[in-house]
Amino acid sequence: MKKLLAVLLAAMMLVLAIPALAEGNQVLTVVTWDATTTPYLIAQKEAFEASHPGVTIEYVDVASQDYAVKTTTMLEGGDTSDVYMIKEIDNLINWQAQGFAAPLDTTGYDMSGFVGTEKNYAVDGVQYAIPFRSDFWVLFYNKDLFEAAGVELPNNDMTWDQYVELAKKMTDKEKGIYGTHYHTWLSAVVNWEVCDGETTLADGNYDGLSYFYGIYQDLEDYGACMSYADLKASGLHYSAAFANGNIAMLPMGYWYVSTLIGYNKDGTCNFNWGITAVPHMYGMDAGSSFGNLTGAMINAKSEKKDLAWEYVSWLGGVEGAKATASVGARPAWVSEEVAAAMSSVEGFPADENSKAALLPSHVSMEWPVAEKVSDIKTIVNEEHSLIMAREVTIEEGIEEMNERVAELFQ
Amino acid sequence: MSQAEVRKVRYKMGKLGRKNTLIAYSFLAPNFIGFAVFTLVPVLCAIALSLFEWNGGDISKLKFVGLDNYATIFATKKVAEKGIGYFFNRADLGIALKNTVYYTVVTVPLTIVCALALAMVLNKIKGAVFFRTVFFFPYVSSMVAICVCWSFMLMKDGPINQMIMALGINFNKSWTADGSMAIWSIILVSVWRNMGYYMVLYLAALQGIPRELMEAATVDGANKWKQFLHVTLPQLKPTTFFVSVMMVISCFKIYDVVAIMTDGGPGRSTKMLVTYIYDEAFVKVRYGQASAISMVLLVIVLLVTIIQFSSEKKFSND
Repeated sequence: MKKLLAVLLAAMMLVLAIPALAEGNQVLTVVTWDATTTPYLIAQKEAFEASHPGVTIEYVDVASQDYAVKTTTMLEGGDTSDVYMIKEIDNLINWQAQGFAAPLDTTGYDMSGFVGTEKNYAVDGVQYAIPFRSDFWVLFYNKDLFEAAGVELPNNDMTWDQYVELAKKMTDKEKGIYGTHYHTWLSAVVNWEVCDGETTLADGNYDGLSYFYGIYQDLEDYGACMSYADLKASGLHYSAAFANGNIAMLPMGYWYVSTLIGYNKDGTCNFNWGITAVPHMYGMDAGSSFGNLTGAMINAKSEKKDLAWEYVSWLGGVEGAKATASVGARPAWVSEEVAAAMSSVEGFPADENSKAALLPSHVSMEWPVAEKVSDIKTIVNEEHSLIMAREVTIEEGIEEMNERVAELFQ
Repeated sequence: MSQAEVRKVRYKMGKLGRKNTLIAYSFLAPNFIGFAVFTLVPVLCAIALSLFEWNGGDISKLKFVGLDNYATIFATKKVAEKGIGYFFNRADLGIALKNTVYYTVVTVPLTIVCALALAMVLNKIKGAVFFRTVFFFPYVSSMVAICVCWSFMLMKDGPINQMIMALGINFNKSWTADGSMAIWSIILVSVWRNMGYYMVLYLAALQGIPRELMEAATVDGANKWKQFLHVTLPQLKPTTFFVSVMMVISCFKIYDVVAIMTDGGPGRSTKMLVTYIYDEAFVKVRYGQASAISMVLLVIVLLVTIIQFSSEKKFSND
């Protein structure tokens, strides 16, 4: 009996020792969203593991719509995952204030390729995260629909008025074709206001939004786009809506490019599409847009901070950027080399217009880093939903935005 | 019995009593420990937290602010300046309170009426078992699935609107995206889902009504309606009391239906107390303020329960 016990114990020790024997194979846990369906995450993991033998990236997958809430709860619970990806800039600002983000030592790390966007991740001059994706909004269009209708394709220098005209022209109620599509988000409808690089949505003055709400209501009345109320009730996602093939244009973030390339590959959609710069206000430069950053920070509780920095710095740098660009996503690091990698992706539209749309003249931040920005977001979004559902007139809704945001600061 | 003997017996009894008490406590312990760890301690912490400003990070960053959180949620400065109307029309808490009370006041009686009507019908009908199962089914179905299905049915061109239109009423609005209808879509789903459960409670109570009472009423010449009014309803009082207490409490805690169907919108038209708490705590990461709002909820539920229980005697059968 004793012998048997001894043998069993020895066997158990051996089993326990196996992982230790395989020392050298380090695992880096990275918290992110939609890890299994997002092409650039898969490409980044493959490229990093190939160039760093003995290191395995393990993604902790969190549902995209719950990301901020779930990750904050994880961090508060003392989670020790090494790297956290950052979806919205204010998440990082909160996490930094809560002491969850490890300060990064960036001495000797070249950040010139980020063209200043990395400053959104710095607090009091200390860098807390590195951007690796920088998305800006473009106008997607269904080339086949335009050709079938014999209408000239959208181009990189369109005013909003021209866009409205084009959307109406492309609408065909008999065939069930919509000229354009607005997702329910605030950003999809009125965020264009910030493209001038001076206005921000935290300014407290929302009068300028009325122009874009006006455009939307005009198009909805005309039947050129699906109604907000229906989209809200059915929860129809823009990706599925556009992939159906009955929508001529779609203003959307650049991230949708990689989704569409994937859809073309797996047969979810089988039409030709292209991108152009988003329309601009009359009298403003063509090619200005707004966007958002995606980055990565190191958890202050991580036990592998050196390895985590190796990964985070790689992710933002040229090599990481190439991996990100290889599947059609737009890296934060901007250089000709990376731009070439982006347009050479298989499935990226080959026309010159689409390639030119890769280089916006100016990109503003969707939301600025500002005091009480999360409260402002809530207010503006609440009033947005009322205007969109036509519960209040545009003027009433905007007046409410102005008043309620002003009250925050009284 | 000598004094010593009496003492001995008393000592034995005392020992037995203590033993019995200990056994009783040991039976209570598993439940109580769970309650203490997962409910009592968090509630006490929340009471304390409502007096602090804390963003959830390092515990050393807890900052005592006294009643500031309450002043913020009740918008005391603005109310002092602009009157109480400001609180109910502009402040988040006022709007959430208004919505929650409205929802409760409509949902509770409506559910009771529907549940009782169903129970009366299904008490004696043929095939009752089948229909009872059918009406109980929503209660055991997944809330998310129910809400998604109802969202589709309540769309602008959905089946519900088509039925209304078929009746000749011109109704062409998406329920969940309409400011005045959104709260009704939530009421509708809640009533539909819960009536089956309360129906079962009423059915059990109906079975318990003594047959003699009914027979006596029939002999006295009471028709069906009078029997219902003067025999059945009074006999159901204790059940109605229990159902209303449970429902009022659960209505004040409404969250899931709102989160799935309207997310508090459009605007703030379906913002409820619990969705407001969630928003403050987990989206804006202001635990102090969120705890203060939950104290408001606690006080309201407590008050309602005390009022209901103090009038319990009226509801008893004797």
